[in-house]
Amino acid sequence: MGPVNAPVAAAIDIDHLQVSYGSQQVLHGVSLTVQPGEFIAILGSSGCGKTTLLRTIAGFQKASGGAIRLFGRDVVAMPPEKRGMAMMFQSYALWPHMTVLGNVGYGLRLRGVGKDEIRARVAGVLKMLNLSGLEDRKVTNLSGGQRQRVALGRALAIEPDILLLDEPLSNLDAKVRIQLRSEIKALQNRLGFTAIHVTHDREEAMTMADRIVVMDAGRIAQMGTPKEVFDRPNSPFVASFMGAENTIHLDVRSNSAGVEVQAGPGPSIRWDGEVPVGPVTAYFRDDVASLDAPDARRDGSIVLPGTITQRTYPGGHYRYVVAIGDRHFTVTDDDYHELDRPVGLRLPLASLHLFPSESKGENHA
Amino acid sequence: MARPSLFGLLLIAPALAMIGALFLYPLGFSLASAFTAPGGGFSLMHFDKAYELYSTDILFTLFIVITSTILTGILSVTIAGILTLGETPWLVAALRNLYRWPLFIPFIVAAQCMRTFLAKNGLMNNTIVGMGLMEPLQATSLLDWRGIIITFVWKQVPFVTLMLAGAMASLDRATIEAGRNLGASRLRVLIELVLPQVSQTLLVGLVLSFVTMLSVLSVPMMVAGSQPTMLTVDMAFRINSYGDYATANALGVISYLISGMAAWIYLRHNVKREAAA
Repeated sequence: MGPVNAPVAAAIDIDHLQVSYGSQQVLHGVSLTVQPGEFIAILGSSGCGKTTLLRTIAGFQKASGGAIRLFGRDVVAMPPEKRGMAMMFQSYALWPHMTVLGNVGYGLRLRGVGKDEIRARVAGVLKMLNLSGLEDRKVTNLSGGQRQRVALGRALAIEPDILLLDEPLSNLDAKVRIQLRSEIKALQNRLGFTAIHVTHDREEAMTMADRIVVMDAGRIAQMGTPKEVFDRPNSPFVASFMGAENTIHLDVRSNSAGVEVQAGPGPSIRWDGEVPVGPVTAYFRDDVASLDAPDARRDGSIVLPGTITQRTYPGGHYRYVVAIGDRHFTVTDDDYHELDRPVGLRLPLASLHLFPSESKGENHA
Repeated sequence: MARPSLFGLLLIAPALAMIGALFLYPLGFSLASAFTAPGGGFSLMHFDKAYELYSTDILFTLFIVITSTILTGILSVTIAGILTLGETPWLVAALRNLYRWPLFIPFIVAAQCMRTFLAKNGLMNNTIVGMGLMEPLQATSLLDWRGIIITFVWKQVPFVTLMLAGAMASLDRATIEAGRNLGASRLRVLIELVLPQVSQTLLVGLVLSFVTMLSVLSVPMMVAGSQPTMLTVDMAFRINSYGDYATANALGVISYLISGMAAWIYLRHNVKREAAA
């Protein structure tokens, strides 16, 4: 890369990264580019390689192929202490023999900062995290939320360009988790560091990240803004991972004006959306379905006749379980309906994620 | 509730009786005999005699045991550190397989091996001469205080390492990674982050080693020559050659005091830790 008109180097540029544990390959050539100041969430179920990817970026796991460039500098062969990143761990990983000051100030101590300056800078970091005055407290005497704040402070004290987050919020209780979520996000906006956040919590990823990377079996399944990934999943895996876990089989035939969509024995619906032709599987979330009359015909929606088998009231609206054949779907509705009443399950075609059925009768849900 | 505790006492009574008969009684007996004049009555004359004859050996013993303990500590921390933080798989595997061997070798066998290894024409010198690193005339025997220290350290390092490596392995690995992530080299991680978390284990291992080395007879007897030597040899000599139990007991009390010192350091550290927690 020449010095003249060189593009601004990406904060993190991962190029066909491969990682193996012994003979078992865990990452199969992952490529990912993260711009400075971007907040990326890596989302996936356990064992998909997301933590391995993060640990390889941090240097705790050796890559067996590919490159990792931080601001244009290849670090793939560099030990972790030379990479200049900061990381937050699920277990907080605070040093129990040190005070809050010792923990937060350790990175500065390593960089040869003087004692008085460490104290001043740690005080600044603690103030930012609402931990003022706890400098001389032992970390073992803090609550979980405070501990993870100290860990965040320890990571931020060295003013890193890149912050890696390894499920740091998953050990906290729900209220603290949501609070810390917005605190981390706010600090990231203020300080401008680049962040990679590994999580299996979809909502956490959606609310914090600028871009979401969904991983599956050591590969990136989809990358995009939270809205793109949520609204337009590119595969059945991503669709069901983003919550569209209900499936129905549909038949799509093309005709002169667009396509005709048919569900089971019911009437076919004319539609002009872009869908794959042939037998398809539709994935949808509970909240796109609504109740209608069993014989209703609506433009752009399919209506499946069924009966209500269960009713609960979680507050604000009723939740019904509707049986269609031998399948059961959950629907919310504002009105009260009797059990065993025949109803129509209305599914707007625009809200369904349609993928060609892979083989006859296969069910991805 | 008096009855359950009385019942409990009854349950442990046989064990207590055994300790009393086999340990406390002989201990009390030796203590008493160390402080009793030949005609009866309290006296410090045996201590006078012990000091007069063996003051050099007391210092020698302290020197040997303290030096060995320090060296054991340094080597154990090094090996356990490599086992925990090492990134060269074959080195870690080799070390893990090798370091425990001396644990299974008795002191007396170790001493015998060291005799043939450290002698003037022993294996070590012959190897060094054979490699052309030293002239045969420069070869010296290490069978003196150095031999004792080498044997003690060789024998005790695996024991302390075993405890220490276990403690290090049970640490939250993320506390190590957090340090390296912030920029600490492996040496700094070991000294500043790992060691303080396992200091308690290290101290226990070293105190136990200290007391063990203080009580070994075979090594100073076989490895090093006559003078100066360790208190255990002196005690054996007083009893075997003169039937002088009183002076041997006085030397025994001095050994107790030295072990007591180690125990005191350990307890003091414990109390400090509890106060801080």
